[in-house]
Amino acid sequence: MWFLRINMSDRTHQFTEVPEKYKYFAGRALTSNLIADEVPPPAHPLGPNNKLVFSPGFMTGTSAPTSSRISVGGKSPLTGGIKESNAGTPWAWKIARMRIKALIVEGQPEDKGAFWGVVIGWDKEAEQPTLEWFDATEYAGQNAYDIYPKVYEKFEGRRISVCSIGLASEHAYGNAGVIFEDMSQRPSRYAGRGGLGSVMGSKGLKFILLDDSGAPGVEIVDKDLFDEGRKKMVAALQEHAITKPKGGLNTYGTAVLINILNEAGGLPTRNFASGRFEDAAKIAGEAIFEGNKKRLGKELYNHACSPGCIIRCSNTWHREDKTEHVSCVEYESDWAFGANLEINDLDVIAELIKLCNGYGLDTIETGVTLGVAMEAGVLPFGDGEAAIKMVHQMGKGEPMGRILGSGTGMAGKVLGVTRVPAVKGQGMPAYEPRAVKGIGITYATSTMGADHTAGYTIAPEILGVSAQLDPLSPEGKAALSRAFQATTAFIDSSGHCLFIAFAILDIESGFEGLIEEANGVLGTSWTADDVVNFGTEVLKVERKFNEAAGFSKEEDRIPEFMHTEPLPPHNVVFEIDDETLDKVYGEI
Amino acid sequence: MITIDVWLYGNLSEYGGENTSPGFANRKVDLPEGATIQDLLDALRMPTEERGITFVNGNLTAMPGKQPDLDHRLSDHDRVAFFHLRSMWPYQYRQGAAIAESFDRELGKDQRQGIHHSYET
Repeated sequence: MWFLRINMSDRTHQFTEVPEKYKYFAGRALTSNLIADEVPPPAHPLGPNNKLVFSPGFMTGTSAPTSSRISVGGKSPLTGGIKESNAGTPWAWKIARMRIKALIVEGQPEDKGAFWGVVIGWDKEAEQPTLEWFDATEYAGQNAYDIYPKVYEKFEGRRISVCSIGLASEHAYGNAGVIFEDMSQRPSRYAGRGGLGSVMGSKGLKFILLDDSGAPGVEIVDKDLFDEGRKKMVAALQEHAITKPKGGLNTYGTAVLINILNEAGGLPTRNFASGRFEDAAKIAGEAIFEGNKKRLGKELYNHACSPGCIIRCSNTWHREDKTEHVSCVEYESDWAFGANLEINDLDVIAELIKLCNGYGLDTIETGVTLGVAMEAGVLPFGDGEAAIKMVHQMGKGEPMGRILGSGTGMAGKVLGVTRVPAVKGQGMPAYEPRAVKGIGITYATSTMGADHTAGYTIAPEILGVSAQLDPLSPEGKAALSRAFQATTAFIDSSGHCLFIAFAILDIESGFEGLIEEANGVLGTSWTADDVVNFGTEVLKVERKFNEAAGFSKEEDRIPEFMHTEPLPPHNVVFEIDDETLDKVYGEI
Repeated sequence: MITIDVWLYGNLSEYGGENTSPGFANRKVDLPEGATIQDLLDALRMPTEERGITFVNGNLTAMPGKQPDLDHRLSDHDRVAFFHLRSMWPYQYRQGAAIAESFDRELGKDQRQGIHHSYET
């Protein structure tokens, strides 16, 4: 296993052995620990002292199902705190198979106009990875959909996988993501949140290409145990209604949640002014499935975003002439540009997603910021054409585009808006905290800012929560959120997609499988309790970094308007008190 | 007589009569005073096994594997939503949302206090 350090100050690199301290870390656990150990908390996120760390999970690169996730970590230009954002992509699979446990990008070149790329390969004789540089300045200033084919062509004959930044990162936006290829070489898989693309851009690094030809694959200490666990995980995913073939996610994608949250009164609409959008059903997962069926003349089920995924939830949207418009219309993107902006046309939503993919923008942050801009009267609600023009302004770096590119919290301040749905500066995803109060606790307290993937539920009985505490008491609510955040931090370190949680919460053997897989790969003897403890330690490291970076419990709050403006149709406010929120990390 | 605003999602839109759109249907159904969810299902000619997640006025009343709402009495202008069996509502996106009393009681019988993503597996 290797650490690869790429120093952008002098364009040198170094492969080193993995220090003992980090041997049992991977994914989010490794990115967060390395950032906490090596980045001074007061460092400017776009300065030379910040670092960008890539790390595949424990199971990434193995035959464990749905496990090709790559974690990207750094100090966030959006929140000013620690950030981990992860994506499912073939790139993750390849870096793991080259036994690179962490890739650390550090330093900063003096020449601000130049961009560089690296190609990481494998030297079979020396049995170690290799690295070569190329000048990537010619690819700057262009749309990712234009430059990806050129890069594959440049390295024709090699099995290249692409990670890059887009124009948004060249402009140093707070909402710029790190772009990864999908299985069909689309620039569509994003470590989107928190502006980590701009950290990469600030270092003059445009591309990280991988060629894993001849790579040995992941070392597994106890293959029999790993196989036992893997089989249990496969069985659980194939059995559960949400994750099985032609089940909820494979048929309707994540946008299957649009109609559900809308009926529940929890689908944020018109910049979080309502919990219900009258045209939600026209943009929902069911409408995507039926719309494609009508246009293509056949049913279209979803595809895998990365090698070995058996859930296969990534969709594509097709135009009237049957050509592909975009992949992927996720729930969050669909909502951000749909209900949140009162846009009811899937073709417009698809175009907005495609523009974000092309420019390197996080769809959630972009949509939430556009909602704030609409609130400010910069453009009208429901005007798809104006929204498309505004995203072009962001991509091209025009003045209003730059303001919106800075993210929801900052744009709200500049535009003088009071209804700014953000926590720690990060735009809030598609679940209204006034209607779904549990997620509100996690939005408020997560080390990441408002993040819908920070608190997944995998196995409450192992947390000691339900047996000891009333889940409706302040202690109970705080303990549940803390437990959800801890177990999520473990999954984010495992390389598995969070969606395995759907199956392993309900099918006990699936959860056993997760632990056996990890013990098989690492040679550990972790138990269910260790899963929680592992995740808790990750959260402590992240929290400590944030505190040293200047965060206090006052940042663990839901925006004021959610306490004072009743949300239709239930006409409720967010009534979880500060004491409860403070218990989440106060009692960790 | 009461009028119910019925929303039918996914393949259940086939019970929407002439009011069907791609992926959903919305129709008004007239029922006698005191009618229940069961009466509404009968009027739609929809077997209760075909529906999963169910809402009355934004309050969760049923999920696949738990249907304590068949005798739930409806009121004039109620909005009732029936979801197909491939829909989902994971626990972390449901915790603290509005739940009908009958469904809440049903969850209370669960030793894990209802902390599941699905109740049929």
